[in-house]
Amino acid sequence: MASTASPISTTTPFGHDACRTLRIKDEHLARVLDGSDHLLFDGAMGTQLQERGLAAGEIPELLCLTNPEEITEIHASYVAAGSEAITTNTFGANRTKLGDAATVDEIFSAAIACARKAGARYVAADIGPTGALLQPMGTLSFDDAYDLFAEQVVAATKAGADLFIIETMADLAEAKAALLAVKENSDLPAFVTMTFDEDGRTFLGTTPEVAAVTLSALGANALGINCSLGPADVAPLISRMLPWASCPVMAQANAGLPHVHEGRTLYSISPKEYCAAVQTMLDAGVTVVGGCCGTSPAFIEGERILLRGRIATGRQLRRHLTTTSAQQLVSLAPGQVGVIGERINPTGKKRLKEALRSGNHDYVMGEAIDQAKSGAQVLDVNAGLPEIDEWATLVRLTQELQGVTTLPLQIDSSDPVAIEAAVRAYPGKPIINSCNGKRESLDAVLPIARHYGCCIVGLTLDEDGIPTTAEGRLAVARKIVAAADALGIPRQDVIIDCLAMAASTDQEAPRAILDGIRLVKQELDGVRTVLGVSNISFGLPFRPLVNATFLAAAFSAGLDLAIVNPMNDRLMDVVNSWRVLSGEDESAQRYVSTYAGRTDTPAASSKPAAISYDTSSPDGIAATLSSISGTLHDIATAMGKGSVTTSGTDAPKDDGQPSPEAAGDTPEGQVRDLVLAGRKDPVPDAVRLILADTDGSHDSMYVINEVLIPALDEVGARFEKGTFFLPQLMASAEAAKAGFNVLRESASTDDVPSKGTIALATVKGDIHDIGKNIVRMLLENYGYDVIDMGRDVDPQAFTDVVVEHHIELAGLSALMTTTVPAMAQTIELLHEQAPWCKVIVGGAVLNPEYAEMVGADYYAKDANESARIAGEVLG
Amino acid sequence: MAAGLRIARESYDIASVDRREVLRYLGYRDQRLSDELGERIDAVVGRCLLLARPRASIADYPVASVDAGEVRLDGCTLRLTGADIVGHLHDATRVALFAVTLGADIDRELRRLSLTDALEQVIFDAAATALVERAADAANARIRAYAADLGMFTSWRFSPGYGDLPLSVQTDFLAALDATRQLGITLTPSDLMVPTKSVTAVVGIHPDPQPGLEGSCSICSLAEFCTLRTTGRTCRG
Repeated sequence: MASTASPISTTTPFGHDACRTLRIKDEHLARVLDGSDHLLFDGAMGTQLQERGLAAGEIPELLCLTNPEEITEIHASYVAAGSEAITTNTFGANRTKLGDAATVDEIFSAAIACARKAGARYVAADIGPTGALLQPMGTLSFDDAYDLFAEQVVAATKAGADLFIIETMADLAEAKAALLAVKENSDLPAFVTMTFDEDGRTFLGTTPEVAAVTLSALGANALGINCSLGPADVAPLISRMLPWASCPVMAQANAGLPHVHEGRTLYSISPKEYCAAVQTMLDAGVTVVGGCCGTSPAFIEGERILLRGRIATGRQLRRHLTTTSAQQLVSLAPGQVGVIGERINPTGKKRLKEALRSGNHDYVMGEAIDQAKSGAQVLDVNAGLPEIDEWATLVRLTQELQGVTTLPLQIDSSDPVAIEAAVRAYPGKPIINSCNGKRESLDAVLPIARHYGCCIVGLTLDEDGIPTTAEGRLAVARKIVAAADALGIPRQDVIIDCLAMAASTDQEAPRAILDGIRLVKQELDGVRTVLGVSNISFGLPFRPLVNATFLAAAFSAGLDLAIVNPMNDRLMDVVNSWRVLSGEDESAQRYVSTYAGRTDTPAASSKPAAISYDTSSPDGIAATLSSISGTLHDIATAMGKGSVTTSGTDAPKDDGQPSPEAAGDTPEGQVRDLVLAGRKDPVPDAVRLILADTDGSHDSMYVINEVLIPALDEVGARFEKGTFFLPQLMASAEAAKAGFNVLRESASTDDVPSKGTIALATVKGDIHDIGKNIVRMLLENYGYDVIDMGRDVDPQAFTDVVVEHHIELAGLSALMTTTVPAMAQTIELLHEQAPWCKVIVGGAVLNPEYAEMVGADYYAKDANESARIAGEVLG
Repeated sequence: MAAGLRIARESYDIASVDRREVLRYLGYRDQRLSDELGERIDAVVGRCLLLARPRASIADYPVASVDAGEVRLDGCTLRLTGADIVGHLHDATRVALFAVTLGADIDRELRRLSLTDALEQVIFDAAATALVERAADAANARIRAYAADLGMFTSWRFSPGYGDLPLSVQTDFLAALDATRQLGITLTPSDLMVPTKSVTAVVGIHPDPQPGLEGSCSICSLAEFCTLRTTGRTCRG
């Protein structure tokens, strides 16, 4: 049914959606959207239906078709009570939930007709969660969620809805998919509300601030909270959203908590109490209200009275620079400075390049964790290597990094296609690094930032190159900011990079950069600045010192964000001390707690007793050796061979096995003992000591074949016998891995040959990955390269990898009887497309007969067995 | 009419899990355990307790009919199918359904560990399994007290996937508990629950005492959560 009033077009004063021309039903709704008027929604539908006998588990949306009078009657009772916006009975009306019962089109068409017939001033098409959890924790892909929502959006728009209400979202990624579905498939306004728990987070850990920042950046036309809690508990959460929401804020609370009385589910709060709490929210600046579970027309009636003649309360928005992950908000008020970790960028980093090429991202994850620990607030992610698929790698890294860090990400690429793919599914408000002043770049990248609500870094270079002067940099910055303004990107989301150049080649450069920062901050109101600091010292010795000095000067010039290596103490010292001088670190509390008692000693001696192995001079080696022997003495002591004994330590003699004569006395024996004891920390030093053997015969291969592998074999034998249980096996594998890592890092990296590559996955539909992870760990520690495809892996995707790398051994895991067919299917594809590849299977529900049935070549009853099989197949 | 629909949402403050149980899940059979590994296990268990938010949704439904193949309930679409559950509930007049979960933070930590530390992932998983069983004990104790208030008795809890009660009942099971909205529990297409550390179960409520109950409170797994004992009664009548 078409709208009756003539639609008008408007851009809200909030500045949203210059890209999208909204179809707004009437003047009143236009005022609602610009925050100058109130809007009253309706109350519960589900509660009303249950009172009328709807059984739990029935699809309530089908009533729109089977019993439209009843639905219309409920809507009409809300219209009579004063509801302006009526929420259609379509909460779960998506293709998967409806199944064969009805089509999405049929339900939306009937549901919108019911609301229209009831006399709704605005028909709000309701979109609830898909019911499935998105990847990476669940199995639904972002794109599939988007498709489900898009189908609903198209149906509702066609059927004549006036606006969308996306509600009860617990997952920010899912809310984003739904909101994008509206933005990209409809010209109607989208209201988005999420549901929060008593602890002030959604089930998936999103806070009200993160929701407000992210959803308003994405272009929600109103955002807020529904369901969850009673209004008194919603009020403080709503007030946390208000300063961050650059669109109207809405609240639809429950009527308190449910309780049971004489066989009926009742809610604890009366309409009067409910309205008292709503009043406080209105006073705080909420302008859209209604009700959720347990509310009835009586509640709406009360709210109508509250709203009568009321003028919308204005509110103060924070103009901070904001970036979010799904769990964390980073906000910088003017004058505050932030640190972006630079380490995840392969330029000039051998190990990172290797990790990105091989697809084994452990090293990248480690870099992320270390940077977070060192004080990074945002992580830059760059996958720009010519020989890899940057697009796919950037997307995968973006997703994997969310598994190990809650820090917001800065997506760093020069390829707009890769940027868009990475930011589209990112559950948060990332920073895009970067665009520049070239027309082509502005045209390609800025619309992405606008559409997906991202901060955007603008490099001060254009068709004429990098300007040498501060004024030249300002001129390019002006061009970038003007283009961003034209698209409606908020000024505080625009971050100008004045580009650090090497002082060693041009000593005018540092001044031009610093003045450039100062000018940009002065001339372009609200715009922020960022700088990758380390270029400044290129070509100079002892670069960290130059970097630190320059960083301090840049902060003084007005720099907001520094892209640095946060593991460099000297730079973090500058950041921490600057925060005292700028007043950001109030009363210097953080500074004092970090630095109290610290004296000005050389950095090396203030570090924990890490030993650096210095081969550059004979003296260095001698010094290192002497300090290693000291450490070895400590190791021996800690292992119970000295005076300190720990009860039950797994020294090799414990199980009565004869130890080699030399055990404990030679470095080889030490390493063996440490691996058997599962003590990883002392292993690297002990391995270095073996390598330091002066006659040069002890190379990496010696360590692997004569020390680590025999020790692991012994561990395996003990596990077989039951002398070790699983955690001991794994602790030993960890200790061996610490040894392998030393070999990998040593100068002779290329001498460490791979014993072959094995691909692993948990099959499609199965989300248990522990068994597979154990297998992986063991295989890696026997010197195999492992490509771990993760869990819930599509059969064809797995086969593609096997074919691409011509892998000779593949391992598949399944934990559920229901997922064994997916295993059989994967093996069938492998046999067809990669007939050279042998397949091992394992997992709780498998046995040798089952393994044969699904077509596997080998069955491994445990991780140890799979290492043995790998030895048999690959040598 | 949704007769007798009662839904309670509860949260449990569980301060400890039995270390022996965690070790049992890890395959421990009296091997010599070094202090170092022991401490590491304790630290991981501690982190699990810190991150878990044990929650339950509990509902009580009258039994509508029990026939050869299935148990039907009044007020929800759930049908409990299979000979095992039919045998288990044959003289129950009501059933209590419950779902408990430790929440998404546990899955997030498992995922983090799967990318960073396989050993700690294994330990954390064992700790979380032990903990979600404790949460199920707590929900079960609540149901037993509820039954006692009605002058009735409970049988032991029975979960989908056990015996011949198929996992495919999970969709309706969770709907009967409003578990997605109440607890954030979702299903994958293969009927696995996410968050993964979640348990659903049905507890029969019977007019007569049920065999198989623990003989005394001292060995009862629900004792820690039992509110009946505080009133001076026990579930054994």
